[in-house]
Amino acid sequence: MMNRIARRLRLLALLSWLGAAALAFAAEAPRQTIVRAILVEDDAEKRALIGTLAGQGDDAIRTLLIAWRSDALFVYAAPDGAKIPVQLTGEKDDKDAQAALRVDNGQALQDAAGRPLRLVGGDLKAVEHDSNLRRAMKAVLDLIDLVAPDPARRIQAIQTIALAQDLSKLPLLQARQKDETDPRARRALREAIALIELKDPKSETRLAALAELKELHTLSSSDFLKRALKEATDQADRPAIAAATAALQAVDLHRSAVDFFGTLFRGVSTGSILLVGALGLAITFGLMRVINMAHGEMIAVGAYTTYVVQNVFGAGVTLPCFGLNLHLSGMNLEGAAYQWYFVAAVPCSFLAAACAGILLERTVIQFLYRRPLESLLATWGVSLVMQQLLKLMFGSNNVQVGSPVYLSGNWTVNDVLLGWNRVFVIGFGGVIVLGMWLVLTKTPLGLLIRAVMQNRGMAACMGVRTTRVNLLTFGLGSGLAGLAGAFLSQIGNVGPTLGQNYIIDSFMVVVVGGVGSIVGTVLSAFAIGGVDQVLQQYLPAWAPGLSWVPGIGSFLQNLAQDAAVFGKIMVLGAIILFLQWKPSGLFSTRSRSLDE
Amino acid sequence: MTMTPSSFRPAARVAGSELAVTAMIALLLIGLLPLLHATGQISTFTLSLWGKYLCYALLAISVNLLWGYTGLLSLGQALFFALGGYMHGMYLMRMIGDLGQYHKPIPDFLVFLGWTKLPAFWEPFASFPFAFAMVFLVPGLIAYVFGYLAFRSRIRGVYFSILTQALTYAASILFFRNNLLLGGNNGFTDFKFILGHSLVDRGAGPATMRGLYLVTAVTLLLVYVLCRWLNGTKFGLVQQAIRDGENRVLFSGYATTHYKLFVFVLAACIAALGGALFVPQAGIINPEEMKAQNSLEAVVWVAVGGRGTLVGPILGALCINLLKSWASRAYPDLWLIILGGLFILVVLFLPGGLVSLPARLAPLWRKRAADPAAVTKS
Repeated sequence: MMNRIARRLRLLALLSWLGAAALAFAAEAPRQTIVRAILVEDDAEKRALIGTLAGQGDDAIRTLLIAWRSDALFVYAAPDGAKIPVQLTGEKDDKDAQAALRVDNGQALQDAAGRPLRLVGGDLKAVEHDSNLRRAMKAVLDLIDLVAPDPARRIQAIQTIALAQDLSKLPLLQARQKDETDPRARRALREAIALIELKDPKSETRLAALAELKELHTLSSSDFLKRALKEATDQADRPAIAAATAALQAVDLHRSAVDFFGTLFRGVSTGSILLVGALGLAITFGLMRVINMAHGEMIAVGAYTTYVVQNVFGAGVTLPCFGLNLHLSGMNLEGAAYQWYFVAAVPCSFLAAACAGILLERTVIQFLYRRPLESLLATWGVSLVMQQLLKLMFGSNNVQVGSPVYLSGNWTVNDVLLGWNRVFVIGFGGVIVLGMWLVLTKTPLGLLIRAVMQNRGMAACMGVRTTRVNLLTFGLGSGLAGLAGAFLSQIGNVGPTLGQNYIIDSFMVVVVGGVGSIVGTVLSAFAIGGVDQVLQQYLPAWAPGLSWVPGIGSFLQNLAQDAAVFGKIMVLGAIILFLQWKPSGLFSTRSRSLDE
Repeated sequence: MTMTPSSFRPAARVAGSELAVTAMIALLLIGLLPLLHATGQISTFTLSLWGKYLCYALLAISVNLLWGYTGLLSLGQALFFALGGYMHGMYLMRMIGDLGQYHKPIPDFLVFLGWTKLPAFWEPFASFPFAFAMVFLVPGLIAYVFGYLAFRSRIRGVYFSILTQALTYAASILFFRNNLLLGGNNGFTDFKFILGHSLVDRGAGPATMRGLYLVTAVTLLLVYVLCRWLNGTKFGLVQQAIRDGENRVLFSGYATTHYKLFVFVLAACIAALGGALFVPQAGIINPEEMKAQNSLEAVVWVAVGGRGTLVGPILGALCINLLKSWASRAYPDLWLIILGGLFILVVLFLPGGLVSLPARLAPLWRKRAADPAAVTKS
């Protein structure tokens, strides 16, 4: 018993001594080590000193070693006889002199009076390096990223090493495994070690590596596994074949799962884009029965408002407007304050489009409430005029709308890529559906809207001012289109014909959902978005299955490769067939009227 | 969809004067223009421009047949027009033979796509009768299938319009693809011969163009006569009854679905014929022709000319296209605003179109004529 405790104590003492030694060693900054390496005469010692840098994550190491290799390090003999290694950087002036940075502390080299010195490289002796030393430096540089403070860079470095499948790097990675704390980096390390072990001469190690890869089933290992399988087949190594096949199957399974969830996410996000575009239409067309072909232009108004707000927050913008140049001076905000532009743009877009809608209602639509076909034609005329006005004001090319930082970037969950802007649109769709539902069911205005839409004449008899309700309803619908424009500006291009890309889809969504039903609109948007994405994802895979069609088999195969277009056409076909089954959409409003 | 009397006022029923006007226009178009061309008074360009307008008039007639007389606003007529054009275009492409840029026996764009032999469905288009049949069969079949599905499930009014627009949109994105093997976004162009006659701008070219123009003008006249005849038959009456009150017609025991389907297919064939005549005169057919916007433009012609009248659509197509040729040169930036604004004004203030203008102005005229008399009396 005592014996064991004593042994443990000894072990502890040994460990703490080792730790202290390591601390003392680490206390010497990498810059100092490099200075020593430069000044020491013996080549072997130089190499040893450089070697000690391996596994340290200081950025200075990289800069200095690269400078050394490219002959940018020099030894400056100070007036007092001290040898100071310096790095010459920056532009050469007319005397060929450059700024000099001290290697030991990274500060500018100063003369006695404290002024920065500028030195001419030709006058000094460059620090020498031979091929052995360069090799030692390369080894350090290769591994420097492995200990970088940023996990993403560490992972990148690990993957680079794995790609080379160099057995000599194995011990280093294994050593790293003990210190690595980031879970993703740990996973990458395991993968890298297993991939390198695939090259191991011992077959047991290779089998173990295959088993490990099977467990990890990363997408990136697929090519290596295929190569391993080929090698195993060439050598007729049965256990290895089985292990490699199993690992490949695991990877394929994972891949199809990733594809599936990726498709699901894209389907939901496409659905919410459709939904956001169609919600305004669900009010103007669904509730008011006004066919507003200029709905797409309302979306464009929202998108352009976002553009203008962005520029007002930034450098300002000049809009040519019928020969006049309308100049909006910018606030020249930067950084976080500028990033807020989008938050300001959202209500502005709503208001701008709502105003445009109210203007349209007053001038054209109010005369056409009982003539839906003619409101279709008149609003198409309006849409032409608005498109041309947008072209005249903003030019016929697309304008740049930048995404604020909080809307750009991706989010990867288990290899499934989720774009922030897409996630945002999904959330936004949810919020406006909720908002719309609250407005329509919980507010006095909602009550009036529903009353007027159900029976305009009766509502008027009860004292409801129907013209005003019509005006507000149309304004609300158009405003929603403007909101859609603000968000779609984050996803696609903003140009004068922006609206045309969404108008047909939006009408389809409302028709399939059942005119007048918000729930139906939501469901049909997600259904159409989902089907569209599924077809885009899987059509190319299904295309070879079309060869059986007599005569035009290969033609169809070719066509199905254009998944985006063919998918859209199939969606349209599906909609027409769906309307055979449910002519008034998913949720039809019940009515006893014959001509509904 | 019902058409309440207030929303729709047929143009003045002045059969006699209309006939006189029509005959005069027909004489001008069929007789005078080719004569001027033959004597060198107008250029081949002008003549084929008029030829194109007449093709557009055929398209307008087909829109009017549906919208003006049956109450079906189809926004897919440009699709049928373009399909007819494509079918005829395939024949014309085959007639180029090996005179193309690559001097291969297959059309240039196929060479460009890496084909060495003709795809199977291109083979029979070397025969004019086959291509001519296809001009009617393909659009007709598509119209039949789509119309059958749409009318069977009682898709009416604006829903029908939206669906036809979506159909056109789907077809246009399909035709923009190279993989369809129909020329992608460049479509067909650079035609050389039609039925052995040269189409190039030298030698016998102008004479062929004159011939094509004459064929177009005569076809337009025949289609007009056909519509006129149809209008007077019992079929025409049922057709208009469907427009004014489909449910009443249905409850009176008429299978409205069949009537609508027939009109839809007939209109598709007329549009396709227009497209087929359009291609050799325009010298090009590409997916731009089947954009949804073109369908809507055709509706504008009908609305401006006067829907529900026989001569209105022709008048509208000619006037708007002449205006377009002039305005898109003189004010290229404002043309769309003019077109859109004109359309809004016509829908709001002149539902009967140009044709109804004399009837609307007549009371004013009479009043003014009467006024001086009243003044002198007092």
